[in-house]
Amino acid sequence: MTKDKNDPFEGFKLISEIWEKQLNGLLYMMTDNNEFVRLLKVGTESHSRYMELLRKNQELMAGVMNMPTKKDVANVAKLSVQTEEKIDILEEQIWNLQDSIGLLNKENLEMFQEVVNVVKQMKIELQKMALEIAETKKIQAELRELRQGLVDIKIIQINLQELRKEIEDLKGIKAELKGVNDAADTTAIQTDLQELMQEVAQLTDIKAEIATLKNLFQKGKAKDKDKDKDKVKEKEKEKELVLTGAGASKS
Amino acid sequence: MSAKASVTNFIPLLDIEKEKARWNQVYKVLTEPKPDIVPTPREIIWKKNKSTLYYHPAKEKKYQVPLFLVYSLLNKPYILDIGEGSSVVGGLTERGYDVYFLDWGSPGYEDCDITLDNYILDYLEKAVKRALRHSGAKEISMVGYCLGGTISAIFTSITKLPIKNLILAAVPIDFSVGIVPDKWLKGLQKGLINFDRLSDIYGVIPSEYMYLMFRGLSPVYMSPWINLITRAHDEDYVEKWRRMDKWTKDTASFAGAAFKQLLNDLYKDNKLLKGELWIGDRKVDLKNITCPVFVFSTSRDTLVLEKQSLPVMDLISSEDKTYEVFECGHVSLALTGRFAIFADKWLSTRSNKIQ
Repeated sequence: MTKDKNDPFEGFKLISEIWEKQLNGLLYMMTDNNEFVRLLKVGTESHSRYMELLRKNQELMAGVMNMPTKKDVANVAKLSVQTEEKIDILEEQIWNLQDSIGLLNKENLEMFQEVVNVVKQMKIELQKMALEIAETKKIQAELRELRQGLVDIKIIQINLQELRKEIEDLKGIKAELKGVNDAADTTAIQTDLQELMQEVAQLTDIKAEIATLKNLFQKGKAKDKDKDKDKVKEKEKEKELVLTGAGASKS
Repeated sequence: MSAKASVTNFIPLLDIEKEKARWNQVYKVLTEPKPDIVPTPREIIWKKNKSTLYYHPAKEKKYQVPLFLVYSLLNKPYILDIGEGSSVVGGLTERGYDVYFLDWGSPGYEDCDITLDNYILDYLEKAVKRALRHSGAKEISMVGYCLGGTISAIFTSITKLPIKNLILAAVPIDFSVGIVPDKWLKGLQKGLINFDRLSDIYGVIPSEYMYLMFRGLSPVYMSPWINLITRAHDEDYVEKWRRMDKWTKDTASFAGAAFKQLLNDLYKDNKLLKGELWIGDRKVDLKNITCPVFVFSTSRDTLVLEKQSLPVMDLISSEDKTYEVFECGHVSLALTGRFAIFADKWLSTRSNKIQ
């Protein structure tokens, strides 16, 4: 319904737009000349001159009447602007300080973290060391026992050497007695032989014992070697840990 | 056929309801105070003198790189945050960007000696530094509109701060051409027209003068009122019109020293294009811009010509650079919120999307 009805302002708008453009164009053309430019120059210069005179007189009159002028108020306002600028500079300096303190705190925190890590590592290593010391003490006691065993073996060896000598002597006696048929002597010899046999049997037992002791001794040595190796490895590890700890703290 | 019927056939029928609504709205516009502009939710993170840095958090953050909006010194920046539905800032936050927005503020008499150097080094650079610190982001994207684009380009070329992307919308880079009559421009370039004395004596160019300067560019300016009357029956349009009308008349004052520098260094000597501009102790060379750059102009722009924006494409060293022309006007680009759509289309692939 509304669409069908006439809107007189649409046409009016079109006409006025054309008129406005044309009038502005006309004024544009009228002023686009050197005469107008010169007029503008004279106009601005004379206006400036009179304004300058007016301001001077204003200042003079205000001075006589001891009254502040706009200039005086402006000067005070300038001071407040200067103060504002100084506060801004201070604020920026505080920012810089805040930034550097923040950076320092961050670095310190990282350093403390590293120190804590190193202390933890040291604690673990200390515990390991205590265990190792206890083991070393045990090994020392075992070594002492082994030494005692060796001394015993040496004594047995000396005894054996003496026995061998005795056997050799007996063998010599046996050879001397080969030609003798005396029954009494024979029985005596037989008893001697039996005793000798018993001693030989004892010797074999002792030999077997020495062999077992030797085995034990060798095993002990092998264990010591392994432990020495472990110790060397652990020491290397310790060195590595200490080195890594030192490196991290440097970084 | 009765006489009444013949009259009704002869006179075109008017929609009485529509006409009632139209004139009620016109009456409202004429009698009621200017509307309040409700900004997108924001937080002030820094203030210096009259300048304020606002932080508009993203509704649902999608990108790691925040945006820093820089608006012109000539007008008030709330055109980029003119109210829900048509706000550029709102559009960007809705699309998942954290937005930092620098409001230069209107300089007072005490700010008469603030130059472009001060604006760029003491205000913009510090604000960007604060935005970076506040966001915790490693990089930031600069988005400059109009003269804010010129300032953003200058800043990006001289700063050591990490700028990820640069968007320049309707930006004047070449000041040898413009919308003012040719003779005026030549008079300015030859030194015939000089506003140095006027700037010195006023200290700060009053906002009323700035408004008159804009009106001088199109002295006959009836079209907004004609548009209002034509579409006054549409309540939404009237609401937007009122906001635009408020912004158009609410111009900012301009620091005298910056005004002189703008006219002499940019309009008169065109130092930015020639690579002869110095900001503080740093030489402005747009070749130093190496970040991805998106420049766009508007086809119906009556304030900044396409010819003024185009040269920047040859001056920068960026490998990733895009230039586009969109079908809209200089102010309507911001007023309709389409700015956010154009910017998002280009930025979305360059702002480190949060996975």
